[in-house]
Amino acid sequence: MMSTATNSSAAAAAAAPLEISGLSITVQVDGESRPLLDKVSLSVAKGEIVGLVGESGSGKSVTSRSALGLFPGHAITTGSVVVDGVEVIGASAAQLLELRRTRASMIFQDPRSSVNPVRRLGDFLTEGLRARGVGRAEANRTAIGLLEEVGIRDPARAMRRFPHEFSGGMLQRIVIAGALSIGPRLVLADEATTALDVTTQAEVVALLKRLQAESGTGMLFVTHDLELAAALCDRIVVMYAGRVVETGAASAIFAEPQHPYTVGLLGSNPRLTGERATLTPIVGRPLALAEAPAGCAFRDRCPIAVPACATEVPALRPSRATEVACIMPGDEKAA
Amino acid sequence: MIFRLIGSRLLAAIVTMGVAAVVIYGSLRLIPGDPVSAITAGTRLTSEQRAALREKLGLNQGFVSGFTHWLGSVLQLDFGQSMVYGSSVNDLLAARMPTTVTLVLYAAALSLVLGLGMALVSATRPGIIDRIGLVVTSLSIATPSFVVALVLLGVFAVQLRMFPATGSGDGFGDMVYHLTLPAIALMVATFGLVARIMRATFREELVSEHVEVARSRGVARMDILRRHVVRNSVGPMMTITALLLAALFIGTAIVETAFGVDGIGQLLVVSIARRDFPVVQAISLLSVGLFVVTSTIADLALPFVDARVRAVGGLR
Amino acid sequence: MSLDTVGLALAGTARRTRRRTRPSALVVASIALLGIVAVASVLAPVITPYAPDATDILNSSAGPTSEHLLGTDGTGRDTLSRLLIGAQLSLLAPLAVAVITTAVGALLGLAAARIGGAFDMIVSRAMDIVFAFPTLLLALLAVAVFGPGLTAPICALALGYIPFVGRIVRSAAIQEQAKPYVGSHAVMGFSELAITVRHIFPNIAPVLLAQATLTFGYAMLDIAALSYLGLGVQPPAADWGSMIAQSQSAVLQGNLWSILFPGMAVILTVLAVNVLGESLSDRFSLASRSAR
Repeated sequence: MMSTATNSSAAAAAAAPLEISGLSITVQVDGESRPLLDKVSLSVAKGEIVGLVGESGSGKSVTSRSALGLFPGHAITTGSVVVDGVEVIGASAAQLLELRRTRASMIFQDPRSSVNPVRRLGDFLTEGLRARGVGRAEANRTAIGLLEEVGIRDPARAMRRFPHEFSGGMLQRIVIAGALSIGPRLVLADEATTALDVTTQAEVVALLKRLQAESGTGMLFVTHDLELAAALCDRIVVMYAGRVVETGAASAIFAEPQHPYTVGLLGSNPRLTGERATLTPIVGRPLALAEAPAGCAFRDRCPIAVPACATEVPALRPSRATEVACIMPGDEKAA
Repeated sequence: MIFRLIGSRLLAAIVTMGVAAVVIYGSLRLIPGDPVSAITAGTRLTSEQRAALREKLGLNQGFVSGFTHWLGSVLQLDFGQSMVYGSSVNDLLAARMPTTVTLVLYAAALSLVLGLGMALVSATRPGIIDRIGLVVTSLSIATPSFVVALVLLGVFAVQLRMFPATGSGDGFGDMVYHLTLPAIALMVATFGLVARIMRATFREELVSEHVEVARSRGVARMDILRRHVVRNSVGPMMTITALLLAALFIGTAIVETAFGVDGIGQLLVVSIARRDFPVVQAISLLSVGLFVVTSTIADLALPFVDARVRAVGGLR
Repeated sequence: MSLDTVGLALAGTARRTRRRTRPSALVVASIALLGIVAVASVLAPVITPYAPDATDILNSSAGPTSEHLLGTDGTGRDTLSRLLIGAQLSLLAPLAVAVITTAVGALLGLAAARIGGAFDMIVSRAMDIVFAFPTLLLALLAVAVFGPGLTAPICALALGYIPFVGRIVRSAAIQEQAKPYVGSHAVMGFSELAITVRHIFPNIAPVLLAQATLTFGYAMLDIAALSYLGLGVQPPAADWGSMIAQSQSAVLQGNLWSILFPGMAVILTVLAVNVLGESLSDRFSLASRSAR
């Protein structure tokens, strides 16, 4: 893997849990380069929940995985990803192991396949701590305590049981306990509630929020569901085709979305409250960066696109309460 | 649930053995014309001796009563008397059993170590190493054990004189020494399939999400391989081992003949050439029985290595 | 760097499209080799430089010379001539096994899948029972019953390989008949038989072809083993297995030439057949995956 570190301001005294700047990733597939991310920047402060929102192919998962140094194979990576003061890009294998064991952990989408089906839950829960060299007895104590916190009854017994003996919702609580076992500064939740049914999803989201608030850890909440992100997160970053198109406080994005894509995302979700009952889906299908047209990647699907949209990729600029990558921000009347 | 699994698996094993017994006993009756004159062709037997043989083989009874009579003896582990050697089949088998069991276990150990090792290396090192592994396993699958046997004989026994060309040795150490080339010949012809199947299994586990999760938690590479990849592949490994043991047992017919090892495999070939049916029937039953026993054990052990099977009573 | 689901997914799509469009050089080479062997075996009586049983005692157990391109065996017979003539039986016997097994296996597998119920259960259990017999043991038993020769072992091997074909055809047919079009055809009044013959069979034909090819390779090894043991082809007829058996005494006298060419003939042919069979079966599984 080739990589170029362009960041020199590493490890400040009170480093943010996550600081991504100018991250671009290109993978080589059969001698062809296929870009996945284009100059993505975002940060997560201590105690903050940041929502990373986008459709499939937007690059949100690639972005969140980069925080753990989980890059795709044959990737060329430029820019900087600093987790709790540690630069990930160009990090040695040992540094990456240390980062994953002590500073950051990830909650994946499907709890059923996240947990090894033939091993006991105790093995799953203590794996992270044991990898760091914590003794079995102490790791078990920590795991039992966490199981209690996430609301598993009879935690000592649960440690000896197998994943198939639990429901999806219960299992995701256990996965969350596993992610928190190392006391991370940064938690990456990659569609962590998508596989669950609506009621369970609400419970797990509430649990995540409570645990995050108690521990003061930073969290990057990756989801395709902008409304869920707006309800849970402090700030939101919206991605489209490998680029950040809008970022700002969750309340501002929800109340006054500036990018036509963000407007579309909100409009394509059925609302249970409010007067506007019409559902306006975004036309066309989501694009990956490799298939995006020149200029603004969204212009083919954009209701307010003008010829000027094709000339260059718009940069992020402040517009009202958010920052937006659009030459005609806030023109939501057209949507 | 688990008792139902055990029960149905044992029943299947018994049915299979029963049908195998019918087929193996019935083979004698399939001989065109008069079985007794066919299998004693070339020998000078008086008509009384022929009649006695007919009686002993149960050929003067109907199929069903002949079969039940034969099965009754077999269930008491009495396979009758060899028509060629004159001694009891049990004595013939007992004298050769240690050699053949040693050879099968020796070859199985070599084949599993090499096959599993190659599978793990190929699965974890995509690219040139995996490609080389594919070529090597393809060659192994396409190579008959007797060709390997002759090459080993020519090189290591005749030219380099490192190993004996024939015989099975006296005492255990000497026997292992004598069985080394035969075991290698069997290994070369079998490890490729082990490697091929286990590579696919390991590969499947390596790209599974629980491995991705373990990697994201900074679990060391060797620990991921041991606790996630190899651990989750124990079921297929047991199945492969069961099939391998059965294949090696019948494979001894070839390599024991090639190396002049006086074991059960060679006895089978000699008995078939001379149509010594009591011996042929006994060894055929052993061969099928070995497959049934090893694969049943592998299936019954599955719930102990995969808790999901315990819960649903079998994945199939 | 580490494996990643994203990278794998991308690599997977690319490999899939590339593999589907063009067979690899290895597959082309295998087809070419098999074609040459097949043509040579047909033309053998015309192109052999010597009569296969003509002996040249002065030049016995020799390596390749200008007179004998692949050398001679222990009794001075020309190896090349014997290889060419031997190819006929060496190829025909496994071909017969593959054809019988494929026909019967396909019929049983299809019938089990389409009829289902008790019939399916009985066929499946019967195939499980046959599977418990090693194929070589079945061939040996056939020799014990019918005496040395190839006809009985061919039938025995064909029986022994039926489960390999039957099980795969059965599961492929079950997969195929679960597709919506089968139900809609049945509703439109097409008969079970018509649907099976016109739609299900053509869709599982590729997997059948792959399985037939692989069976040919396995059967070739079994028959060569049988001839090596002296229980298959009987002299003066010869196949590659019996040539290898006859080379044993020369090998024991330190002459490795005699094993080289017949050994290579078996290994290379089976190798080519397996490469072809595996590429066919890969193609099928990829095609069915992308169709889903």
